[in-house]
Amino acid sequence: MSRILARLTGIERRFGPVVALNGADLELRGGEVHGVLGANGAGKSTLLNILGGMLRPDAGRVEIDGEEVALTSPRDAWACGIGLVHQHFTLVPTLTVLENLALGSRGPAAAPRTVRAQAERIMERTGLHIPLHPRVESLGVGDRQRIEILKALLRDPRVLVLDEPTAVLTPEEIEGLFGLLRDLAGEGRAVALVVHKIDEVMDVADRVTVLRSGRTVLSAGPAERSTGDFVRAMVGDDAVDPIALGLGEATEDVGEGPREPGEETGGSLAGSETRTVARVEAVTVEDARGPRVRDVTLEVAAGEVLGIAGVEGNGQRELALVLAGRMPVSRGSVRLPDAVGFISQDRSSEGLIADFDLRENVALALQRKAEYRRGPWLRWDRLEEAAETIRSRYDVTAPSIRTAAGSLSGGNQQRVVVGRELAMASQLLVAENPTRGLDIAASAFVHEELRRLVSQGVGVVLLSTDLDEILALSDRIFAIARGSLVEVAKEEWSREGVGAYMLGGTAEHG
Amino acid sequence: MADVPAHAIQRRRLLDAMLTGLGAVALTAVVGAVLLMVGGHDPWMAATAMIRGSFGSGRTFVSITLVRSIPLILTGLAVAFAFRAGVWNIGAEGQLYAGAVAAVWMGLAGSGLPAWLLLPLVVLSALVAGAAWALVPTLMRLKLGVGEVITTILMNFVGIYVAGYMVHGPLQEARGVFPQTDPIAEAARLPMLLPGTRLHWGFGIAVLLVFALTVILRYSRFGFQLRAVGASPEAAAVSGRIDTGRVLLVSFLGSGAIAGLAGGVEVSGLTHALYEDLSPGWGYTAIAVALLAGLNPVGVVITGILFGALQAGAGAMQRDAGIPAAWVGVVEALVILAVLAIDKVRKMGAIVREDAG
Repeated sequence: MSRILARLTGIERRFGPVVALNGADLELRGGEVHGVLGANGAGKSTLLNILGGMLRPDAGRVEIDGEEVALTSPRDAWACGIGLVHQHFTLVPTLTVLENLALGSRGPAAAPRTVRAQAERIMERTGLHIPLHPRVESLGVGDRQRIEILKALLRDPRVLVLDEPTAVLTPEEIEGLFGLLRDLAGEGRAVALVVHKIDEVMDVADRVTVLRSGRTVLSAGPAERSTGDFVRAMVGDDAVDPIALGLGEATEDVGEGPREPGEETGGSLAGSETRTVARVEAVTVEDARGPRVRDVTLEVAAGEVLGIAGVEGNGQRELALVLAGRMPVSRGSVRLPDAVGFISQDRSSEGLIADFDLRENVALALQRKAEYRRGPWLRWDRLEEAAETIRSRYDVTAPSIRTAAGSLSGGNQQRVVVGRELAMASQLLVAENPTRGLDIAASAFVHEELRRLVSQGVGVVLLSTDLDEILALSDRIFAIARGSLVEVAKEEWSREGVGAYMLGGTAEHG
Repeated sequence: MADVPAHAIQRRRLLDAMLTGLGAVALTAVVGAVLLMVGGHDPWMAATAMIRGSFGSGRTFVSITLVRSIPLILTGLAVAFAFRAGVWNIGAEGQLYAGAVAAVWMGLAGSGLPAWLLLPLVVLSALVAGAAWALVPTLMRLKLGVGEVITTILMNFVGIYVAGYMVHGPLQEARGVFPQTDPIAEAARLPMLLPGTRLHWGFGIAVLLVFALTVILRYSRFGFQLRAVGASPEAAAVSGRIDTGRVLLVSFLGSGAIAGLAGGVEVSGLTHALYEDLSPGWGYTAIAVALLAGLNPVGVVITGILFGALQAGAGAMQRDAGIPAAWVGVVEALVILAVLAIDKVRKMGAIVREDAG
């Protein structure tokens, strides 16, 4: 049996009134990829941050190589050979990629030439390709994620800790990353990662630790237990059928299985006259870098889910903003309904205000609706009611609606955004990666809510980097590549089929 | 988040702001005493003279301290209002002078009009002039993306010199001796709030404004949008679909109008004429007043009175204890440093507590 590189036992941690960890254990062995599973707010990020020296535990032991250590800063963790890849980006936007990579180093190791050589060597070995000279602010989230990983690898850690590294990556990139993680483990390192999609974890991990409500409830190899066991451990004992959650083992037969719910909505549409809720015609969006969206024409019908798949940076961001009425177009015409809900993928800077409490964050969108106003005044009684409804309906873990949004976990923040925007969307909802960063139960819930919305006749545009999500929910699928939109024919509805469309444009792109 | 200045100067809850304020006053007292001793003065005498000169009697407090606090409260409100929207209006001083010039001009030109007409016109012209003074930096920010910190500071100098030109030129008194205007018409003067004291209705206006701003920020849709834009312009625009340009325009001009009102109220309520050095830098002290109050309008009243007391006590300190009034400038600076230091320490304390559980 291989050596235990890091062991955390009985870890406890609170944030004010919120108990994040309450007896969590984690054991990382050299040579293994270790998956950490758990529902939103189960304490995964907190646990990994404690290992990475970002947070200090209130109680419990942290042992590295069998010796108890007190990790009081990321520097301490680095000194112990622990490298943390953050869930939230820690890059300086105004610096170039290379400068960001050099940031953590000192002395001769920080020389641009040294860093570049090292970075290129790692990119060569891992297939994790990033241009080194653009400023970080000009890059998309996918690229930024890759830079974070590269930054951690530069220091050659013995224990590599990744918090949701796959959330913004394309399927090919995820496969590449997993291959890389296995190689790294093969060199005797321990790799710990949080991934929300249980299939992915089962795929890559040698061992899996499941956290629930801040406690370790299961630790086993993926072969030793069934997927259902892991799911039950995550969500509790109230017998949740993984199939009912829409998880299935459906990686191969996507074309058939997960279509069921979509067919329901498609069926209801087929009978009735379809009503168009939004229409864009010959829309082009240009910015300083050139055209982002090229000559896109699109109609969204009431009660349909229109899925748009694309590799990060191909114009889906701009198209989403146009469809949500948040961006002016350079050319073309746009007709949108009054009531558009928009789930932005950039939760922390666009979706929520960290300093505002839940009430105020709900009010941020609802203040547009007449029923929450009286003359120039806001009707805080109704807004508070709406916030309470969202908090209880979406099961947001927060002491009260007066809790600052910034103090919630990412998953809980997403629930607030989803709840609020669904309340806004009486005709059209534009959702960008709506389940990014959510655990399976929460993702299933969001999907359930989207279907409910669709059954009420709302048109939904779903832009996602998660092909499974697109395939599971969409009535029509488009792929966006270099700003142009192409409809994917039904017979090509599979990961591979849609993926080919997504890459079609980028392959020839210089 | 560190790139957004709005987060650097966060609004604080009133109680929190008061705790910080009390700590800052105490710290200032200790450090100020040491400095006075080093300067060869008796801190005890200085303190008693200062307190006698500001809080010594009900009459002193009302006629001197409260009267001095009026322009500080008004400019403090102007700054707090702008800062809450993320508009860094450092130009209250110039806007105050613009308001004073306009009010005096109206008070002179409108002599003969009845008070019920002239007085509102005087106040209105001060508001409009203050807003107009803020218009240039506002448009430069909105249309050209020029940061308002620099432009508002520069407009201060223009405002101060325009006022100087007015009292030497077009608006100089009829005798043409002193650089000042003739007294404005009786009908253009704010009445006394408390008979038998020097406390004029400017204080009443300030208190009404505090009430109005509190209600607007807390309960109105616009006030909510303003706070949202101040806290996160991106989220306000994307999630709230708030027209951030419009919010900036209104809050910037509103802030300028309030600062202009401070100048108008001062000439209409107290001096009844315009002088070259009307303001001893109220528009700058206002920044300290607003920050010490945690950008909270109610807090601005308290900190405004505190700074008013400092300025009132300065005269007494010079007269009774022979300590130069310039020491008050030192004390004011110490208060700001103390606020920043205490804030920082409390934040670090919070982090340490958080870390330690």
